Amino acid sequence: MSRKQLDLALLGLAAVVSFALPLAIESPTYLQILILLFFYAYLTTSWNLVGGFAGVLPLGHSVFVGIGAYTSTILSLQYGISPWIGMLVGGALAALVGVMIGKPTFRMRGAYFALCTIAFAEGIRVMIENLDAIGPFKLNGPRGLLIPLKGDSFWNYQFMHKEPYYYIILFMLILVLALTWFISKSRMGYYLAAGGDEPEAAQALGVNVARYKLIAMAMSSFLTALAGTFYAQLMLYFYPKGLMGLDLSFEIAFIALIGGRGTIAGPLIGALALRPLNEFTRIYLSDQLPGLHLVIFGLILIMVMLFQPKGLTPPLAKLYDRLANRITGDKAAEGASK
Amino acid sequence: MTAVIQAVLNGTMMGSMYGLTALGLTLIFGVMKVVNFAHGSLLMVGMFAAYWLIKLTGMHPYFALFIVPPFLFFFGYFMQDLVIKPVFKAEQQVREPLTVIIVTTGVWYVLDNLALMLFGAEYRTVRTAISGTSFMLGEVIVSIPKFSGFVVAVATAVGLALFMKKTRTGKALQATSLDREAANLMGIDQYRIYNLAFGIGTAIAGIAGCVIIPFYYVYPSVGVVFDIRAFIIVVLGGLGSIKGAMLGGIIVGLIESVFSQYITSTWTEAIIYAIFLVILFVKPSGFFGHKQDW
Repeated sequence: MSRKQLDLALLGLAAVVSFALPLAIESPTYLQILILLFFYAYLTTSWNLVGGFAGVLPLGHSVFVGIGAYTSTILSLQYGISPWIGMLVGGALAALVGVMIGKPTFRMRGAYFALCTIAFAEGIRVMIENLDAIGPFKLNGPRGLLIPLKGDSFWNYQFMHKEPYYYIILFMLILVLALTWFISKSRMGYYLAAGGDEPEAAQALGVNVARYKLIAMAMSSFLTALAGTFYAQLMLYFYPKGLMGLDLSFEIAFIALIGGRGTIAGPLIGALALRPLNEFTRIYLSDQLPGLHLVIFGLILIMVMLFQPKGLTPPLAKLYDRLANRITGDKAAEGASK
Repeated sequence: MTAVIQAVLNGTMMGSMYGLTALGLTLIFGVMKVVNFAHGSLLMVGMFAAYWLIKLTGMHPYFALFIVPPFLFFFGYFMQDLVIKPVFKAEQQVREPLTVIIVTTGVWYVLDNLALMLFGAEYRTVRTAISGTSFMLGEVIVSIPKFSGFVVAVATAVGLALFMKKTRTGKALQATSLDREAANLMGIDQYRIYNLAFGIGTAIAGIAGCVIIPFYYVYPSVGVVFDIRAFIIVVLGGLGSIKGAMLGGIIVGLIESVFSQYITSTWTEAIIYAIFLVILFVKPSGFFGHKQDW
C-alpha cells in the first residue's frame, strides 16, 4: 500500500463514518453536540481564509454570522422568501461589509487591525441592538427574532429532526474544507501566505497583497454568513448579544489558534479538541461551577501557545507521518522524517 | 445650564477612571508593543481585592490603596514572567507579536471565569465611609468618592510621568520602549524591564480598582466595561502616551455623560465606537502617539 492510498483510504473512512454517525446516535442531545462541533469547524475554516492564510487576526467575525442570520430570517418572515435564497443574499451582504471593513484596515499593523475589527463588530452589534427596524425591515432590537415553527419543510429550511441539520452542516463543512484546500494549492493561496509573512517583499515582487486579502475577506465573510442562516434555522431564535457578541468572535479565533491557523485541518482539530469539552463541562458542571469550561478553555489556550505556538496540527501531522510510514513500510521515508 | 455643567463634571470624573485604566494599558503597550487584553480582568481582580479587604476588615477604602496595588504589582510581574515572556521570546523577531495578544486573551478568560466560579455572577457593592457622600459646588453636586478618584487618577498620572522622567528605572523603561535592541546593548535586561512594566501597569489597575469600588459595583466581567473604553482611549491618546491616556479618558467620559443627556446610554456606546473608527482612519497615531508605532 502506498502512502497516497493510505491517505485516501483514511479520508474515505472518515467520510463513511461521518455520514453514518446519525444512524448510530439515538440521542438528539449528542447529535446536537456534533452539529455544533461541525458548525464551529465550519466557522473557523471560513475565518481561516483571512485569519490563517492572510496572517492577520480578525476578532469580529460574529458580525457576519449576525448579518447572515438577520438577512435570511427577515426575508423569510416578512417576505416569505426561502431561507435558502435569503442565505445567499445574506452572504453577499456580508461580503460587502467584509470588504468595507477590510479595505481601510488591512493596511494596519496587527494589534490595530484586531482592535479595529472588534470595534466594527461591536459597533454594528450595538446598532442592531438599538434599532427596532431599519426602514421596512424589523429587527426587534435586543429582543432578537423568533422563527415560527412551520414543521418539516425543506423549502422553509425547517426540520423536525436533527438529522437533516447534521447532513447540511456536514456538507457545508466538506465544501468549505475542499475550497480551502483548493485555495491553498492555488496561486491565491501562495500570494496570501507571502503577503502574510512578508508583505513588503511580496509587494516588491509585484503581488497585489491588498487585493488578495480583500478577496479572501469577501469569501470568508460570505461563508461565515451562510453559517448564520444555518444557526438561525437550527435554533429558531437568536438575539444580537448571543449571536453577534465578542464571545463568538473570540471562540472562532481560539479554535483556529489551538488547532493551528493557516492549516487546512487546524480548524477541524481545534473544534474536535475544544467543542466536546466545552459542551460536556457546560452540561455536567455549569450548575455547580459556572465558568469552569471557560477557565479550562483559557488554560488550554495558554498552554498551547506556550508549548505549541503553531497549534496542535503540526505535531499531530508529524505523528501521523511516522505512523503512516510504518504502516506502508516506507523505511527510508521514516528515517528521513526523523 | 446646571444640567450641562453637572454632566461635564460627572463625565470628567468618570473619564478620569477610564484614563486611569488606560494608563496601565498604554504603559505596557509603550514598552512591550503588546496590547494586553487581560487588562480589564486585572482591574476586576483589583476591584475584588479592594471589595473583600473593605468588606472583611471594614477599613477605609483609601487605606486599601496601600495594600491592593503592591499585591497587583507582583501579580502582574509574575504573570508576565511566567506566562507572557516565553511566548514573547518565541516571537521576538516579529515587530508586533500576535500570539502574545492571544495569550493575554487566555489570561482574561481564566481570570474572569475564576472570579465567576468563586464569587458568582451577582453585582456587589460595598458600603464605605464615603459611599454616597457629596458636597455642593455652587449649584452642582460633586460626589466625594468620584472626586477623590479623580484626584488619585491625576496624581497617579503625574507620578508615573515623573517616575518615567526622573528615575533610572523609568529611563530604562523609556529606552526599552524606544529601541529594545539598543537598550539591550546598553546593559538593560529587556525581560526584567518587561516584568516591571507589566507589574506597574497592573498596579495602576489596582489603584483604579480601589478608587472605583466606593461608587461602582463589581462583578466578574466588569473589566470589559473598562477594557473596551481603555482600548479606545489609548488609540485616541496615542498608544504609549501618559497624557494621551488621561486626556483620552476624560474625552470619552465627557462624550458618554454629555450625550447620555440627550440619547439612551446604549446609543452612546455606538457613538464611542464610531468615534474610535474615525480616529483610527484619520489619525491612527492619536494625539500624542508616534507615527512609527502605527
